[in-house]
Amino acid sequence: MSRPDVDAILEAFQAELSSADSPAALEELARKHTGKKSPLKLALKGLKDVPADERPLVAQAVHAAQERIEVALDQTRRRVEQAALTAALDAEWADLSMPGVAPRRGARHPLTVVENQCLDVLRRLGFELVDGPEVEEPYYNFDALNIPEHHPARDMQDTFWVNGGRLLRSHTTTVQARVLSGHPKLPIRIASAGRVYRNEAVDATHLAMFHQLEGLWIDEGITFAHLKGILAFIVRSLYGADRKIRFKPKFYPYTEPSVGVDLSCAVCGGAGCSACHGAGWVTILGAGMIHPKVFMEFGYDPNKVSGIAFGLGTTRMAAQWAGVHRVKSLYEQDLRVMHTLSRGAR
Amino acid sequence: MKISPSVLSQYIDIPEDHRELRELLDDVGIEVKRIEESEAGIAFNLELLANRGDHACYEGVAREISGRTGASVRLPSVPHIPLCAPADFPVEVLVESALCLHYSATLMERVSDGVPFPKEVLAPLLATGVHAISAPVDATNLSNLEFGQPTHAFDADTLVGAVRVRLSSAGEQAWPLFQEGKITLPEGTLVIADDEKILAIAGVIGCEESKTTASTTRLLVESATFDPISVRKTSRALNLHTDSSARFERGANPALATVGAARVVGLLEQYAGWRRVSDTLLVGEWADPGRLIPLEIPVAASFLEYPLTAEEVATRLTRYGFRVSPPGPRWDADDGWIASPEVLDRSRDRNRTTVLVRVPPGRLWDVEFPDDLYEELAKSIGYNNTPSDLPQVDMGKLPSREEQVRDRVEDVLLGMGFYEVFTNGFYGRETRERLGFDERHPLWEHVEVQNAIDRGYSLLKNNALGQAVEALAANTRWRQEEVRMYEWTRTFHLDEGAPNGVCRERKLLWALASGPAHSPSWRDKGGSADPWLMRGLVEEIAAELRLPLAVVPGRRPHPLSSALHPNRQAAVVLGDKVVGLLGEVHPTVVAANRIKRARPVYLELDLPPLLTEGRALPFADPPELHPINRSLAFTLPQGVYAGDVAALLKGAGPSWLTEVAITDLFEHQEDGQPRRAVTFALTYANDEVRTSDEVNSASDYLVKVVEQRFGEAGVRQRA
Repeated sequence: MSRPDVDAILEAFQAELSSADSPAALEELARKHTGKKSPLKLALKGLKDVPADERPLVAQAVHAAQERIEVALDQTRRRVEQAALTAALDAEWADLSMPGVAPRRGARHPLTVVENQCLDVLRRLGFELVDGPEVEEPYYNFDALNIPEHHPARDMQDTFWVNGGRLLRSHTTTVQARVLSGHPKLPIRIASAGRVYRNEAVDATHLAMFHQLEGLWIDEGITFAHLKGILAFIVRSLYGADRKIRFKPKFYPYTEPSVGVDLSCAVCGGAGCSACHGAGWVTILGAGMIHPKVFMEFGYDPNKVSGIAFGLGTTRMAAQWAGVHRVKSLYEQDLRVMHTLSRGAR
Repeated sequence: MKISPSVLSQYIDIPEDHRELRELLDDVGIEVKRIEESEAGIAFNLELLANRGDHACYEGVAREISGRTGASVRLPSVPHIPLCAPADFPVEVLVESALCLHYSATLMERVSDGVPFPKEVLAPLLATGVHAISAPVDATNLSNLEFGQPTHAFDADTLVGAVRVRLSSAGEQAWPLFQEGKITLPEGTLVIADDEKILAIAGVIGCEESKTTASTTRLLVESATFDPISVRKTSRALNLHTDSSARFERGANPALATVGAARVVGLLEQYAGWRRVSDTLLVGEWADPGRLIPLEIPVAASFLEYPLTAEEVATRLTRYGFRVSPPGPRWDADDGWIASPEVLDRSRDRNRTTVLVRVPPGRLWDVEFPDDLYEELAKSIGYNNTPSDLPQVDMGKLPSREEQVRDRVEDVLLGMGFYEVFTNGFYGRETRERLGFDERHPLWEHVEVQNAIDRGYSLLKNNALGQAVEALAANTRWRQEEVRMYEWTRTFHLDEGAPNGVCRERKLLWALASGPAHSPSWRDKGGSADPWLMRGLVEEIAAELRLPLAVVPGRRPHPLSSALHPNRQAAVVLGDKVVGLLGEVHPTVVAANRIKRARPVYLELDLPPLLTEGRALPFADPPELHPINRSLAFTLPQGVYAGDVAALLKGAGPSWLTEVAITDLFEHQEDGQPRRAVTFALTYANDEVRTSDEVNSASDYLVKVVEQRFGEAGVRQRA
């Protein structure tokens, strides 16, 4: 048998390879040139017919040709596959400027957000949330809290009176009175939050129903300095350590001394602007040391125990937090407002 | 109240810079609401503390500043007027009610044509926007503004007989100044009257028939102190609110009665051509009780965590008008300090660290306990100058079970695109009407607000559905077609057996959806919010809380059932207890709220059952062999629940039938009747090697069971 023409085989392969432009054509070419009946495989089978002295060189040439074919096939295969992949991917161009389609979450009301933030801070100080009724006995709303008969808060235009001489609580301090009436063990650290009612004409800044959050801490040895320390901790935890705060005398019937806490105005930074009526400060909470009469009302000796109470106007805080000027809009179930607050203006 | 800084500077040294002055006033508890500028100059608009009527004058503001800064207070000069006996006073004056603590009267006559007060004298009035009226009226207004003592000038020639301070009788009438005519007073109103008419409503306002005029030649100058409660009640009952009533309501200073009269007399004599023609008659039973409060210096120091000495305490409290004794124990008549046994007992330890503090008459209304004095000391030191300290805290607390449950349920709601809203605790009667309730309905009766100033506050809500649909109506008006909202709220239910004897309060969650079931997008329109959305919400809440909440179709006893579509509602059940309901809002309720083209769905769940501890879910490893799936389809007529068929399949199947799921619905007409083809996917466990024949045999058996049970109702297998 004559020696196989390896060069011719390679030449034929190269010619066919150059026109194989698809994975299928390439596989057909591979089968033809590397399969059992490929020219090179047949050449190897025919080696026995080649003169013995030439056989090594011929075998070497055939093997070399096989390797070249396989390398060429691999290279071409990768190129063709890459080209095919690129073409496929190009065909799958997607317009990702289109809006996302994931289900849209709703949102908690700003009041809940603010209330949760407050409670998170208070829990760190060991406060527990306690609930109380909204339809209340006058005793818990007034008398027990040293709001005597002649106090203006008892006037009919301020308080909603309902059946049976009961009323809608005008402040969440009623919960404190109820807790004290149960004589729990000291220390007492409770928070109460929820709806309160005032019989007022509703306008942009006055509501007949709004939300408060109050705290009560009673123990032996609680001082005015503790009051200030706790209030400062709460305010700075909520608003940031860099905000300035100040304390000022106030009057609440159930605390003595009573304190108002002002926060430097977020709008002007304390320089004075229309938002803070030029004061540079906004009042954010009222507080004080529990009044001796309140202690005595519930059988505590004010010479032995002392305590603090504080109240946060969560409605006003929520309005400030959300940047809402018209507080009433927080209670109008207006989903346009809720969308704007949670996702920004549309 | 408005004050002028320039006038205030005549009473006490104050910062010239208005911002510094504002800070100072805020610091002492006299809050500046705003600074106003007008032709009259700069005025500070103040918000005064409700218990400090004494702040409502220049002397009071100056006194408070003095307490803080130590600067001396400079007061206008007041002539000394001797007191006279009743028999020596030309007019008989009788105080017949203890509600008048002190009543002073002084007679004057005009000796020359009146001249207006000089501008500098009127400055306190003009600076606050009060116009000059006449010398007698201006003098009384000035006295009030300067010293905080309301006074009144009667035309003495209008008086007939004795002047009595007494309670009005039933039906008695008075003609208050600036009113169009006479008004009937509530019986028992404290008045000043002569033998014929009422001269003034005590502490509130004078009357037309005794007022001074340009032709008045004789004055009776009244300066008195009235009971705060009496004045407040009268002022509220008559809806007459004056500077005088505001002062007396907060507790006036009984010791100022004669001072106020003397200031009026002095002004009129010095500037306006009037002459005093009597000494001052002072009647009334009030006497200074000389209240003494023992103050233990170490306790006060500990309370404020501020080092205090007896000397410093005395210095600071004296600035506010208190008198402070030397430290005990030598409290006796020789020292001028006679303490009652009660006070001595309260002082406990009569040693060198306790002082007695005598409360001035003007502060008897608000200073009663050592704590009241601690407040004075804190103000004097400055609230921002006392130390601040955080007490020891052992450990923080976790949220309560209720807080945790609410949070977890909210996560479900938020994930499904619901927004939280807040509604009022009350509504008007029209809300009840729109729900279609009549007097026989269990939710007809409400806890009622007795004194609502707005019709919208008439009824405490006993359901949340009314306001939920109203909220939808509002959003519809605002062109919001995609509505999903929820609220944690409470309703009020009349119950005489409740702890408050009036009503129970029920905490609940409601959710309402209308429009798309989820946010529409360019890919899909979001489906439609329908009862199955609410059912899915319940299922997700049940899964989150691991509670076996079940949705049972059909009407169950629930007060809101009548307000939902009769054939599109279901009860939510926990165990054998109905804990809520869901369904489509009844079309008549929707229409009553003027909502068009919307079919809202509503869910309500009681909160307490949700607080039940959830069950632990048993864990099982996934099967090594893939389960075997089969499908069965049945045609169901209206009235047959697919859920019942599914339950029957599961119950009748072999133990290795692990799940029956409803996977498809095809609605069509058959013989003119609506029919539903429902596909049930059966999942058989393949833990043992099962043949296809076994599985097919089990499925064939289930078909027979279903047709046997529901065949008469028209259920049959769909080929």
